[in-house]
Amino acid sequence: MKHLLVAFILCLFSLSALSATQKPRDLIIQAMNHWRGQTSYSEITMTIHRPDWERSMSMTSWTKGDKTTLVRVTRPKKDAGNGTLTKDNNMWTFSPKINRIIKVPSSMMNQSWMGSDFSNKDISKSTDIVDQYDHSLLETHEENGHRVYVIQSIPHEDAAIVWGREILIIRDDYVLLEQQFWDQDGILVKTMKAREIKNMGGRTVASIVRMRKQETADEWTEMSVQDIQFDIDIDGSLFTLSNLRNPRQ
Amino acid sequence: MSPDINMGLSIGLRMAWRNLWRHKRRTWLTVGAMIFSNLLLVFLISLQFGSYRMMIDNTLKSYTGHMQVQQQAYNDDPKIRHSIDGIIPLARSIRQQLGSGMVAARGVAFAMTSSKQRSYGLQIIGVEPRFEPNVSTLPGLIKKGKYFTDNHAEEIIIGSVLARNLRVDVGDELTLLGSGRDGSFAAGVVIVTGIFESGIIDIDRAMAQLPLAYFQALFSMGDQGHNIVINASDLTLVPDLEKQVANIVSARKELVVLDWNVLQPGLKQAIQADMTSAWFMYAVLIILVAFSVLNTQLMSVLERTREFGTMMALGLKPSRLGALVFTETFLMSSLGLALGTALGTVLAWYLSFVGFSYPGMEEMAVRFNLPDRMYPSLSLLSIFLGPGIVFACSLLASVYPALRLFFLQPVNAMRAV
Repeated sequence: MKHLLVAFILCLFSLSALSATQKPRDLIIQAMNHWRGQTSYSEITMTIHRPDWERSMSMTSWTKGDKTTLVRVTRPKKDAGNGTLTKDNNMWTFSPKINRIIKVPSSMMNQSWMGSDFSNKDISKSTDIVDQYDHSLLETHEENGHRVYVIQSIPHEDAAIVWGREILIIRDDYVLLEQQFWDQDGILVKTMKAREIKNMGGRTVASIVRMRKQETADEWTEMSVQDIQFDIDIDGSLFTLSNLRNPRQ
Repeated sequence: MSPDINMGLSIGLRMAWRNLWRHKRRTWLTVGAMIFSNLLLVFLISLQFGSYRMMIDNTLKSYTGHMQVQQQAYNDDPKIRHSIDGIIPLARSIRQQLGSGMVAARGVAFAMTSSKQRSYGLQIIGVEPRFEPNVSTLPGLIKKGKYFTDNHAEEIIIGSVLARNLRVDVGDELTLLGSGRDGSFAAGVVIVTGIFESGIIDIDRAMAQLPLAYFQALFSMGDQGHNIVINASDLTLVPDLEKQVANIVSARKELVVLDWNVLQPGLKQAIQADMTSAWFMYAVLIILVAFSVLNTQLMSVLERTREFGTMMALGLKPSRLGALVFTETFLMSSLGLALGTALGTVLAWYLSFVGFSYPGMEEMAVRFNLPDRMYPSLSLLSIFLGPGIVFACSLLASVYPALRLFFLQPVNAMRAV
């Protein structure tokens, strides 16, 4: 009995020691992997909100590894068939209206993606943060029975990144709660926040995420996940330019 | 005026004139300095005014225009949604009410423009093919191909630098990809029908025009657009015309009329900055001339100490002698003013026809939207501003020598060496 108690205490101790030494970089990698899996398939509705209008768009997205993404718009009818393919930090876009594939030049990567508050870079280079930034743990606290890590990530001196720093708030089950984008003058520009967390596709994920510009309170873009599946079998040929143009799936 | 005073005046004038020519060479040297500085000032100020005028004209006529009607939020926040309903009929009605053809509607949007090899993010302007040539010089600067005539044509006009960057020529295809007014995808394929060369790098590199009706279809604009450009026949008529236009659109509260100063605040600031720096140089010139006058007059007073002493002993008042010295300066300065402005005006007038350039000017001219020859612009202001100040400063410089006479003791003065 006594041994058992000691073992239990030791076990507790080592557990907390483990979480205290969690490297911030590993936390971010875990969070990315948690969100993307080896492969993933998801159905998402994006709502762009402006003070005087609002617009919703539905799309399907496939991911493989951390550098390959295919997104295809399904609704509204006017925009259905438009798609973007991201592969190794390159981005192509296809529009059925002109039946052409166009490579998005790097100069356009900071432009808004499909008119939203997400930039092309936000969509395509979501894992850049792992390699091109230095990470440090700012604080940890308890929230709703979870341990929450606040990590500051500062881009390397020579990295081609517009932000001065980013702050990521990650829960101990690797759900990314919040991501803040600060500019080089130390002003908060935009914040991405998880608004709903639930169990989907066998994982706990942020099912509604909102990106909001700091200056204009009433302008935001919300991504709401209808369906998500992880680690499914995806053929590599899905992520090709010819499939972007002529969907086989 | 009594004949006595009249006679006194003329004697004073005659004495002053004769005094001046007692030292011919010295007087000519001082007058020469004035002539030189006045000539330089007339020439430089006219040239400056001329280049400002050209800067304003070239900049405004290439794109901005003298004034624009816009939705009130557009100028501060140029978003595609800040647009004007029924823009083509509105432009037509302004055209009719002003009785002027220099009115044209435009739409502005952003699109990624791609050729087979390259892509660039560009501002795309939708224009009325029939009226755009009346408000902008660009349609007349087409170097290759032609300007479009059909308001619905799927055609594009681009600048020469952009054409080189995209590696396209007349007849080639470009694809446009952007967001429409309702946030939907805007995508289109257009044929390059014309390439213009304005000489203004920014415009040649980043300007592309579509016919307005096609522009509206492409960007889901309906019957909307973003601004109506209105030109006056001369820059000086802009304030009056602005009032008339404001009157015409006053029924629609969401619209504002903005003149070129508001639309291109940098232009006036650039001119003011240039003016300020130029005046530092002018001030140095003017002060040097004033000191040379001071020197001459002081010398001429000091060397005549005995003479003035004798005159005072004979009963002449110091004020009369002071006036004499002052008159001498006045005559000398008038001579400098007349000859300097005359020569300067002739030079500037001649150059206002043949133009003026110097080595290395081309590079600078392109940066400031100027042609490679400059033409001075003559006006009463540009002629008399500089010489007038030289004249006033010279008179001011003679105050000290004239005042010295009031402290002259006749007896001591007559014994002075």
